[in-house]
Amino acid sequence: MSSTEQGTSSAAPAEPTTAPESAAAPEVPESFYYVHGKDKVVHKVSAGALQHSALIHGMISNLGYTEEQAKANPFPFENIDGDILQMVVDWCNQHKGKPTPPEDTNLPKQKEKLFDLVLAVNYLEIKELLTYCCKQVAMMVKGKSPEEIREIWMIPTDAEDEAAEKEAKKRAGKEAAGETAAAAGDAK
Amino acid sequence: MIISKYPCLVRDEIFQNMEISELLMLSFVSRNMKRLIKSSQKKRLENIRVIKYATDGMDNLCAFIPRKPYEDIIMRFEKPDETREPDFQLNVSGKTIDFRLCTRERNLPENDFHFYPVASVHRSDRESTLESIHKYFLDFFGNSTKYYWKKEFYKDLQCYVPTRLPNVSLCIGTYLHTPFTNIENLENFFSSSPILQLVQLTIFSSKRPFNPESKFYQAESIKIKYCDNMLPDVLNHFQGKQAFITCNECEILDLIMFVKRWKSGEAFRNLEYLKIELPPLDFNLVLVQNIIGVKYIEAKKQPPKHTLPRVFDWHDLGNTDPITSHSYVVRESDNRVASILIEERALSFGAWDKTEEEFLKMVD
Repeated sequence: MSSTEQGTSSAAPAEPTTAPESAAAPEVPESFYYVHGKDKVVHKVSAGALQHSALIHGMISNLGYTEEQAKANPFPFENIDGDILQMVVDWCNQHKGKPTPPEDTNLPKQKEKLFDLVLAVNYLEIKELLTYCCKQVAMMVKGKSPEEIREIWMIPTDAEDEAAEKEAKKRAGKEAAGETAAAAGDAK
Repeated sequence: MIISKYPCLVRDEIFQNMEISELLMLSFVSRNMKRLIKSSQKKRLENIRVIKYATDGMDNLCAFIPRKPYEDIIMRFEKPDETREPDFQLNVSGKTIDFRLCTRERNLPENDFHFYPVASVHRSDRESTLESIHKYFLDFFGNSTKYYWKKEFYKDLQCYVPTRLPNVSLCIGTYLHTPFTNIENLENFFSSSPILQLVQLTIFSSKRPFNPESKFYQAESIKIKYCDNMLPDVLNHFQGKQAFITCNECEILDLIMFVKRWKSGEAFRNLEYLKIELPPLDFNLVLVQNIIGVKYIEAKKQPPKHTLPRVFDWHDLGNTDPITSHSYVVRESDNRVASILIEERALSFGAWDKTEEEFLKMVD
């Protein structure tokens, strides 16, 4: 169960709406936290769902926020696109308190989305979802020729790698020369 | 999707979800990618103990990783299909080789199928193509992998066995017919072959024995069945580790001499295991054991069980048959022990890498 609403800033988030509970109401009232991504849309997520994320779980452990405090202090994940965070929140809600199935077929098929999802999931430390995503990424190149794999995963050729290495060396050399010159100037 | 921008942990997880044949294919994409796979999957690649070159059910040569219940093909080698363009070309260890994708040639679903590349090998260019690919394997899989060239039931001396592939041992098994009844042909074949890992001969009849210096006797493991007149020579000249012999004829004196020579340390220094299945012999066991100089573990005590992995597991038979015997002999030169079990129709002999004192400590 999550809710989303366009917020104005991380300090003053908009009032989120709560989605209907799919499971029976728990005996003990569940605590909720709030997260938002780059788009500032705030998602209300239960502590149970957030347990999938080792990063957030670590952040909220023993935090002792009241509902109001939680609402007033959403966790900002500025490095994650809003739609990607939505996918993550949905997945955490769907798998809240349930054993994770061996496969997940609901992952995005578009490679750019999947790429962003992998980075987000890795950052948020959601181990099971990361496993699914990595399986999906691996599946993308199954049965493909080396050239097709290169295109799908955007792997540079040997020549491009060599050029990039040369460029990096050149840059490092320039930086080192600049530092030496600056140091000499300071000494004067 | 720029895979190189993924953190190591993520890349490792992706590679972990790929089969070895897929990683091999990925390694062809670039030198950097190959390096990345080798460092990320170091342990996994090191755990590949054996790669086997053998023909599949369609009589095509394949490189397999032996696994149970099915072997993983990592590459297949086929004659070029002149009617089709190759799916792609690769420069493998400096040689340009045409490849096809096994999934496409048979219209197989890519997602559910064990995927591997198929190399086109021109007959005239066979040795150098295999050499290039083998060189690539040596680099990719590392030094700890053993390579076996398995040839089963071949009929003639023209059969192809590579001679220039480094680190490849030959495992050969055959029923011997003409022209193999010509012992010289067989000798020449063995001498031009790479290291012999296993030689399995069945129903062999020759009036002339192998030359005592024959490479046949240097095979790591031999398995011979019903090979008339061969037993005394094998018991005299074998220098390998494991021998499995079934014979129609046997003299008890040959067995006695074998054990005595092992005990003296003059021969069979590498021998780990010998099993001879014999025709029924009429002999006095106690007398034979006395001649051999057998020692005994107390009858009420449990002797240690001798068993070890077969040098080459031809049919996934696992370890050697266990020997649990109260009888043992001791080699005079280094005090090493061998369990010995003489039965009416079999002699089992298992050498331990233990001194008598260490061996007796294992007795319950």
